[in-house]
Amino acid sequence: MSANTSIIMPGERVTLVEDAAKNKRVILGPGLRRLDDKVVASKAGPLRHKEPNTFWVDNYQRRYVPARGDLIIGIVKARAGDLYRVDIGSADMASISYLAFEAATKKNRPDLNPGDLLYARVLNANADIEPELVCVNSNGKSGKLGVLQDGFFFKCSLNLGRLLLRESCPALAALTEELPYEIAVGVNGRIWVKAHSMRETVGLANAIMALEQAGYSEIEKICGNLNGVVQA
Amino acid sequence: MPSKTKPRLSRGLLDMKFMQRTKVKVAKEDDDEQSRALYSNELNQKMLNSNSNYIIEPSYTICAGLIDGRLSFRGMNPELERLMELEQAEKQGNTRPEQPKEVNDQEMADAYYANQAPAVCKTMNKKFATKNEFNKRKSNNGNPKWQKKGQFKKPRADDDED
Repeated sequence: MSANTSIIMPGERVTLVEDAAKNKRVILGPGLRRLDDKVVASKAGPLRHKEPNTFWVDNYQRRYVPARGDLIIGIVKARAGDLYRVDIGSADMASISYLAFEAATKKNRPDLNPGDLLYARVLNANADIEPELVCVNSNGKSGKLGVLQDGFFFKCSLNLGRLLLRESCPALAALTEELPYEIAVGVNGRIWVKAHSMRETVGLANAIMALEQAGYSEIEKICGNLNGVVQA
Repeated sequence: MPSKTKPRLSRGLLDMKFMQRTKVKVAKEDDDEQSRALYSNELNQKMLNSNSNYIIEPSYTICAGLIDGRLSFRGMNPELERLMELEQAEKQGNTRPEQPKEVNDQEMADAYYANQAPAVCKTMNKKFATKNEFNKRKSNNGNPKWQKKGQFKKPRADDDED
């Protein structure tokens, strides 16, 4: 990923992408829109580019827009017949079938109550119908998905979630040196952490929230000071 | 319009029992034609056969190549760490060079033909051989059981006299 820091505004033509599309196929991510043969930004923020041909706008946002394949954290709100209603921070409630859990059958329902946290995958995301979640992979195994027990849950911007999940992000590695912990980061701007004691868990949450305003470049510096935040 | 001139099957015929599958097919064709007529003035030639260099991908996860967000460090959740290790191993397994062979291909083929293949070949050959060939092969083997039985020979007169 190149550290491209050109800021674009909604409605602006993005000629950089148009040039790239002249001789190869280009993937337009969120925040970029095609109008005939022009590419126009629909969100404000830095234009990001990933080799070889992916472009998107990394705008600041707190409202999650569901996209197929995303891994998110949801809160179970209610049971509606065969479905559970789950709040994932999007405009519409998501739903998850009681059969979308490992080893669940009609007889053997998963034990979910309102208020439970789920780490789930978005199976279906469409503007016209409510998003659908699953807690199993295509082999029927839950893998890393499922209910999150105990721990501490907090909300943040979508950017922070994405920041932590970059492959080269130093933040989680820096925290590992401080204490053993378990974390679930949803790309819907929700984070769940768990450490051995309450005190450590809260310190961890504070350390992560301190990264809220960090950009790609400042993050290294902040990671150096995380020790102080965790102790406080 | 070609549909006007196209001969159509009568309704009475389509209602017959043996025409049920054709009936479904005809209904589908009619539907397709209707929907095409409905949208024909909205679709233009450019929409029908343009190929664009742009692919729309609405997910940040895929665009930015984000990792799975469920992680555990320093033995907090051993089960999860095992999964993470497996995933890591799989990722590296794709780039690892192939292991060297202990037996090379030539030796393998030689050993195969020396042991197995000829036997199978023979069995299959036997299946397709004619009866004549079969008898011939047996006689070549020199098996006395399959040789032509000698006819009874009348004893000579002088043999008896001794």
